[in-house]
Amino acid sequence: MKTNIRSAMALLTLLAIGEVRAQSEGLTSSPYSLYGLGVINQTSIGRSNGLGYTGIGMKSATDINNLNPANFALTPKNSFFYDVGVRGAYNSYGNRVEGESKSSLNFSNLAFAFSIVEGLGMGISLVPYSDVGYSILGIGTNIEGSTETFESNVTGVGGLNDLKLNLGYSLTPSLRLGLGASFLFGNIEEKESFVVSGSSFVLEETTNYSGARLGLGAQYDIGERFSLGTTVQLPVSLKGTLKRSVLKTLDLTEVEVEDETPDEVSNFKLPMELGLGISAKVFPFLMVNMDYKRNFWEATDQSENTGTYEDQDIFGIGLEFLKNEKGRKLADRIRYRAGFNFDNGYLAIDDVKIESYGITAGVGLPLNPYNNSMINLSYSYGATGKLQNTLIREDYHLLTLNLSLEDLWFAKRKIN
Amino acid sequence: MKRFLWFLGPILTVLAACNNDLNDSDFLAGDQFTDSKIRVVFTDTLSVETATMKFDSIITSQATRMLVGSYVDSIFGKVRASSYFQLVPSGYTIDSEAEFDSIIMFLTPDNYYYNDTLQNNSLYIHRVTQILRPNDGDSFYNTSSATFDDNELGMLDYRPRPTTADSIEVRLDDTFGRELYTMLQEKSITTQDQFNDYVKGLTIQPGAGDNGSVIGFSFESTASFVRLYFSIAGVDDRKQEYLDFTINTTASPIPFFNRITAEDPLDPLGTLEREEDHLSSALTGNRTFIQSGVGMATRIEFPHIKSIYDIPGKGTILGATLKIRPTVGMYDDKLMLRDILNVYLVDRDNGLVEQLTIGGSALQATLNRDNEEYSDIFYEITLGSYIEKLLLAEAITEEAIILLPDDYNSTVDRFVLNGEDNTDFRATLELTYAIYDED
Repeated sequence: MKTNIRSAMALLTLLAIGEVRAQSEGLTSSPYSLYGLGVINQTSIGRSNGLGYTGIGMKSATDINNLNPANFALTPKNSFFYDVGVRGAYNSYGNRVEGESKSSLNFSNLAFAFSIVEGLGMGISLVPYSDVGYSILGIGTNIEGSTETFESNVTGVGGLNDLKLNLGYSLTPSLRLGLGASFLFGNIEEKESFVVSGSSFVLEETTNYSGARLGLGAQYDIGERFSLGTTVQLPVSLKGTLKRSVLKTLDLTEVEVEDETPDEVSNFKLPMELGLGISAKVFPFLMVNMDYKRNFWEATDQSENTGTYEDQDIFGIGLEFLKNEKGRKLADRIRYRAGFNFDNGYLAIDDVKIESYGITAGVGLPLNPYNNSMINLSYSYGATGKLQNTLIREDYHLLTLNLSLEDLWFAKRKIN
Repeated sequence: MKRFLWFLGPILTVLAACNNDLNDSDFLAGDQFTDSKIRVVFTDTLSVETATMKFDSIITSQATRMLVGSYVDSIFGKVRASSYFQLVPSGYTIDSEAEFDSIIMFLTPDNYYYNDTLQNNSLYIHRVTQILRPNDGDSFYNTSSATFDDNELGMLDYRPRPTTADSIEVRLDDTFGRELYTMLQEKSITTQDQFNDYVKGLTIQPGAGDNGSVIGFSFESTASFVRLYFSIAGVDDRKQEYLDFTINTTASPIPFFNRITAEDPLDPLGTLEREEDHLSSALTGNRTFIQSGVGMATRIEFPHIKSIYDIPGKGTILGATLKIRPTVGMYDDKLMLRDILNVYLVDRDNGLVEQLTIGGSALQATLNRDNEEYSDIFYEITLGSYIEKLLLAEAITEEAIILLPDDYNSTVDRFVLNGEDNTDFRATLELTYAIYDED
């Protein structure tokens, strides 16, 4: 009965998230989100947010590791993991002339995982794949055939969601294989407006993207202390459909040029993504993760308005300190985390790649000694872009809060 | 505690939803950070075809004034305006003891004048000898005429002062006055019909050799009228009384019109005989012409307007302005330009379709005088909506727009404008076009 209530709450959360995402207004605030599908979301589930977003090789039977589907094989029988998170961001960005700051608070994930049979686990997660939220004013453009210019303002909101189904299977006690299927979907609304010689012009385009993507993963344990992991995300072409509205004033009268007219738009291709990870219990109290990902954007052969797509490398390292998992004192069971992440970017503007890095710190607070429920908090500081002639540098402070809860199914509680 | 946490998830999610006001930015990104997705193109090379047309006639029985005068125009020829009207007696009773004094026509200028008011004008008032009734329909035209007695009832040579409210007086023939007086006194005339049988109407003609100005006179009953004076002997002196005859503008059809003619205009304007014809500006020295009163108008077409669609991609116009310059040397303080011209739509046969409007009021060509000291003036017409209509039209309509002064049935203003190939300043259509989808 209690389980039913909790499942219902989980479902309710999922619905609420659907509602939030459907309204999708300003889920982020980054000028860089005007490129591609927006800013691709790095934050993940549970503890990896404090670990420099690493965990491809991390073996975990106590919570959801969404970075490698193979890890779901480790979900204990009778366990039901539930993870919901929010994140708050404070962004400052500026060019050489001026700057601005914005804060935002958003849902960051919802995930479940459970075991089907011993050695076969399954998980469902809903995580934002990308976020769009920008407002850029005063883009000056020449009026062709004259020496005049017009200044336009562009804004964008929206983003894509990643609804992912993961299956993990233990082939041998030390080798786990995983399969993930992502359904990516969402809307990006872009608006450009300007006034030229007394006439205003507003273009609104809502592009809907959707597509399914397959991913594979494996984890292999070398002894008790080392695990290796690898993941592959297969390339996918997200189907885009566009609806366009154009409104103008002509001779001071408002004229609807187009109203939600459907039009064709090129599909957006996501690249093949390869991930490698290693996780080591260097000491009983210290775990180290190292991840490397390469995303083959060049092979997608796409072009952007002002930039070019280039292959992307992401390096990450994470450390977790835990005094004693079974310790009697709460302080002994608190997990302390730190990490670093470097991303050399997938887009080059005027041949300058938009790099970013982040430093993370986190803490995992166990809720009780009888299961693995935990509150995970993380803080990260990062920066994107360089302050060169044309680019914008963006600094962000990011806080995540995850409730990573475990419920035991079909197991009688002895004490409650 | 733990049970509480399970409920916290949905609460957090809802909280996160309440943070939606992020896109009110003031951040000015660099120009190179991104480009506009929209191209805006300005062009002034779309073809404009100007011509001159002439209406068969203009209805002048609905004019707002009487026009009388004559002048010789170097382009438009001998311009002549004369007025015809019926009178309405203000009464039919004259005391049997009274004696006739005189009969005088009073005329009050209404501020309208055209050309040289420093020259003397003359007014000749004649008696119309036919009933003032249109030949067909309900209207008189600028081309209408009525027969009148060759002998004038009165004449005046005067220096026009058109902007004063002072009336001028023309003494009419005593014989005519006395005869009218007697018929009224003897009750031979007791109704309007009887009066109009006797006095069918009057006409005011300019002098045959006048070369000065055309003057507008108000036809309001208090401004212009014929006054019959008579006096009655009293104990000590004579008491003067009068009876007024005002201009009839209320009968239907209105028994009033101005005849306006322009004889021997510059070649080849004289060949414009049929309304459906027009003379390309190329045939008239890269100029076009407007003369109100006689119904000459500048006609403008945009025959290849859809060539804007040759620019690849989906687009829409953001503005269109037609600029036309009055030909330098063809206007001065006497042959005045008006600040405003109206814009009308005509069909392929030059039939008047409608007056163009913008936002519910009349669309106007306005004279831009910003650089008047350099003779750099031009009429500007906001034609965005009209051009958009042409662009969206499925078929070519061969419609055109014409330019005429607002009160073209009550004036003799004339204009000479530069055509599309004039080397001084060609008639130009300036178009702003936005391309929002390059595919």
